[in-house]
Amino acid sequence: MTSIELDNVSLMFRVRQNRRLGLKDFIVNQMFRKSANPFMEIRALSNINLTIREGDRLGIVGHNGAGKSTMLKLLAGIYPPTAGKLTVSGQISSLFDLQLGFEPEASGWENIAYRGYLQGETPRTIKSKLTEIAEFSELGEFLNSPVRHYSSGMLVRLAFSVASAIDPEILLVDEVLSAGDMAFQKKCRQRMHEMIAKAHLIVMVSHDLEAVKAFCNRAIWIDHGQICLAGSPHEVIAAYTAAMSGAVPKAA
Amino acid sequence: MSQYMAAIWKCRYFWLSLVQMDLRGRYRRSMLGLGWSLLHPIVLTMVLCVVFPRIFGDMDVRSYAPMVLVGLCFWSFISTTTLGGCQCLHHGERYIRQYPAPMAIYPLRTVLGSSFHFGMALVVVIVLRFLLIGFSGVASFASLVPTFLLLFVVGWSLALIAGFVTAYFPDVQHLSEVGLQILFYATPIIYPADKIQGKLGALINLNPLTTFVELLREPLLHGHWPSVTQFSFALRATYVIAAIAAMTAFRLQKKIIFQL
Repeated sequence: MTSIELDNVSLMFRVRQNRRLGLKDFIVNQMFRKSANPFMEIRALSNINLTIREGDRLGIVGHNGAGKSTMLKLLAGIYPPTAGKLTVSGQISSLFDLQLGFEPEASGWENIAYRGYLQGETPRTIKSKLTEIAEFSELGEFLNSPVRHYSSGMLVRLAFSVASAIDPEILLVDEVLSAGDMAFQKKCRQRMHEMIAKAHLIVMVSHDLEAVKAFCNRAIWIDHGQICLAGSPHEVIAAYTAAMSGAVPKAA
Repeated sequence: MSQYMAAIWKCRYFWLSLVQMDLRGRYRRSMLGLGWSLLHPIVLTMVLCVVFPRIFGDMDVRSYAPMVLVGLCFWSFISTTTLGGCQCLHHGERYIRQYPAPMAIYPLRTVLGSSFHFGMALVVVIVLRFLLIGFSGVASFASLVPTFLLLFVVGWSLALIAGFVTAYFPDVQHLSEVGLQILFYATPIIYPADKIQGKLGALINLNPLTTFVELLREPLLHGHWPSVTQFSFALRATYVIAAIAAMTAFRLQKKIIFQL
C-alpha cells in the first residue's frame, strides 16, 4: 500500500542576506562575535498535516511562492522537513524541474540513459524503452547532437519523454502540462492520463485549474506555506478562484 | 552504513556512465588526450632531473627520474581528487535537486575519474622503471593492488569532505589550493624521504602521505614489498579519513541541499 503522511511538518530555509560566507569570514566573525551578514529565516512550509492514501489524486493550488513546489520537493525527499515527521511508503517518481538534470556535453541518447539510470533503470531495461522514448520525444536526428544545442522546449520534450516512460507508484508532478508546443502538450496530456490511471498515488501542482478538476479527486490550497483549505477539487478551486478574483480589484 | 552502500550500488549505472562520459570528454576519443594528461608529470620530471641532481650532488638521474615520476603521479592523484572534489556537489547539483540519491556518488564520480588517470600514469612509471632499472623484483608489484585500493578510499574520502566543506564555505577551493601547495613540499614528492633529517625529517615522516608515497616507491623502485609497519600505518590513516568522510556524509546528507 502506498501512502504519504505528513505529521506537523515544517520547512524552514535559512539564507544569508548578503553573499555566501567564506571560511575566512566565518572564522573572523566567530572571533569577534559579530555578524555583518545575518541569517534570514524563511518559513516555506509550516505545520502541514496531511495524509495521502492509495488511490488519491491530490491537486495543489495556490499562487506563486505559496510553497507548492517546495511541498513536492519535500515529498520527493529532496528537502528534509526541519520539524515534524514525513512518512512515505512506496517508490516515488517525480516530474519537476524538467530542464534541469542534463549533461550538456552528452548527446540526447546518452542523457536518456543517465536519467533512466537515476530513475532506477538498468542498461537492459532502458534498451527496450529507448526507441519508445525517442519516438515520443519526436526529436529524431537531434538526439545525436549534444544537449547543449537544444532549445528549452526540446529539453522539456526529452525530459518528459524519459520521466514518463516509467510505471510510477507515487507520482509527483509540477506544472508539466504546459510543456512544449501545442501538439506536444496534447500528447503530454494523453500520457498523463495514462500515468494517472496506472499510478497508485499522485500529487500534482498546477496553475491550470481545469486540469486539477479533470485529474484529481482531492485538492488543497496552500498559502504562505500553510494549508488554508482542503476538500474536493470543485470546492477548493471555487474558493480559490473567488479569493483570487476578489484580490485583483483590491490590488489594482 | 550497509544500507547507504546499497543505495550507492543501486544507482551504479548512473555514476558509472557519468564517469565514462567524463573520461571520454577528457580523452576526446583518442590517444592524444591520454598523452596530454600524462605530459605534465613527464615534463616536470625531465625539468627536475636537470635541476635537482645538481643541487643534491650525489644523485643518479637513473634512479632519481622514476622516483620523482612516481611522486608526481601520486601527487597529481591527490590534488586533482581534492580540487575536483571541491566542485563535485556543485556539478551534481542538477541531479541533487531532482533525485534524492546518496551524496557520496558525486565524489565517487570524481575519484573514479582521477583513479583512472592515476592507473594510466602508473603504467608509464612501470615502463620507465623497466627501461631504467630492469625487471628485478617484479613480484613485489603485487603490493600495488592493496595500495591502490587504500588510495582509492583515501581519494573518495578526500573528495567527499572537500565537496561538503566547499558547499558550506565557497572559499575552501582556494584555500585547499594553497594548502595543497604547502603539503606538496611537506611530502617527499620531488626529493627522497631520507634526504631530510632531524626534526623536519621526523615531521615529514608523520605525514601519512609520506607513507603512501613509500608504499608506491618500495616495489616500483626497489622491487621490495613494503613493510607491515608501513601498511598498517597507511591502513590506520585511511581508516581515520574514511571515518571522517562517513560521518560527514551521514550528518549532512540531508542538509546539504540547503547550502547549494
